[in-house]
Amino acid sequence: MVYKPRFPEYLSYGLRASQRLCGERILGKRDPAQETSMQYLLASSLAFSLSLLAATLSFSPAAICQNAEKKAAPSANARAGQPVDLSGVWDSQHRGPGGLQTVDSTFHGEIPPMTPWGEERYLATRPSQGPRSVPDSTDPVYPTKLGAPGCFPPGVPRIYLQIFPMEIIQIPGRVLMRFEFDHSLREVWVDGRGHPADLNPTYMGNSIGKWEGDTLVVDTIGFNDKTWLDREGRRHSDQLHIIERFRRTGHGTLADDITMEDPKTFTKPWTTQVIFELRPDWEILEHACADYVNFDEVLKLQGQTK
Amino acid sequence: MAIASLLLLLLQAPAFAHHGVSAYDVTKQITLKGVVTDFQFINPHSEVRLDVTDDSGHTVSWLCEAGSLNFLVRRGWSRNSLKAGDRITVMGNASKNGSPNLRLTKVTLPDGTDLDPLVGTQNAR
Repeated sequence: MVYKPRFPEYLSYGLRASQRLCGERILGKRDPAQETSMQYLLASSLAFSLSLLAATLSFSPAAICQNAEKKAAPSANARAGQPVDLSGVWDSQHRGPGGLQTVDSTFHGEIPPMTPWGEERYLATRPSQGPRSVPDSTDPVYPTKLGAPGCFPPGVPRIYLQIFPMEIIQIPGRVLMRFEFDHSLREVWVDGRGHPADLNPTYMGNSIGKWEGDTLVVDTIGFNDKTWLDREGRRHSDQLHIIERFRRTGHGTLADDITMEDPKTFTKPWTTQVIFELRPDWEILEHACADYVNFDEVLKLQGQTK
Repeated sequence: MAIASLLLLLLQAPAFAHHGVSAYDVTKQITLKGVVTDFQFINPHSEVRLDVTDDSGHTVSWLCEAGSLNFLVRRGWSRNSLKAGDRITVMGNASKNGSPNLRLTKVTLPDGTDLDPLVGTQNAR
């Protein structure tokens, strides 16, 4: 790396040169009689001019070019050195007939048959969406049964069915998915690491990813068994293994091909796809799942005033 | 002891007060004209309180439901879109049980502009 002296160093050199000339005269090293005032003037002017020139050179073309590069290539920074820029706010919701916003209660594609164990747990759930919806739902995210707290994390891939958008942010070594729903976050490590050996089961699992050309392949394990795969009450075991392939199919569309493997629950893998659309003028806003319960009612219950 | 009080609190806890779409008759829409008395720009559903006076001078206070503020704000709404005293026209699905509750499908402001209340085909949560 080339050392670039900064302005103060050039200036002090110029000043020292001027001082030396002046100093030599003051200390009498030069014969004032021999040095004409014109020569002295020229020398000190030159020294000062050189220092001024040095000052302007510290704002060198190289430095200017560096700043220009930063402004001209935002995508290079947005993808943090990764092969493809997936950053932005993405929305998977769409309008159906009559312009009404559709809310999917499960994923598209053929849903594989369940094992007897899986079937038993599925039939025991009481969802609030889909063909088996009931008024007194035990959905961990949206219970309507009196007394159930609700707002447990939706998990993966159910988070894609929560009707709020997500933002992808790429930073060195990681791809972050920031979901508007209840400010949920998924973190995908793309720095080459594998899954940790002693994983503590979590709602969102442990995700690692690698790039295959223009596709980000994300592998997730380490789920607890508390979440539903969808909003219709399909449960899973802690053996759930999800592989996703994210690819930008156009400037404004992102396809996520999902494969869910859980031999304890399903007899075959469940494959599906979610399509996201880019929303360049949206920001992720605050959303708190707790707001589904009326805050004022809670205050009253606790004997508090507003 | 602590567990008992927690359980007691949970049993009394307000349920996820979610009148789903099933509470409304989505097969037909009605139109109401009235005066706004309150506008709550909130999650999970924004709410407009509307005083509707019939020809005989009898006034009923309707509770009208719109989508989550996160959606409305992206479709041109703000907390100042409606205020008490505004005379508006609304369209929507009325409650099945005859109570003055409306699931909004369109809001027309005093200046004639339409606002999309963005309610979904299901319980859009």
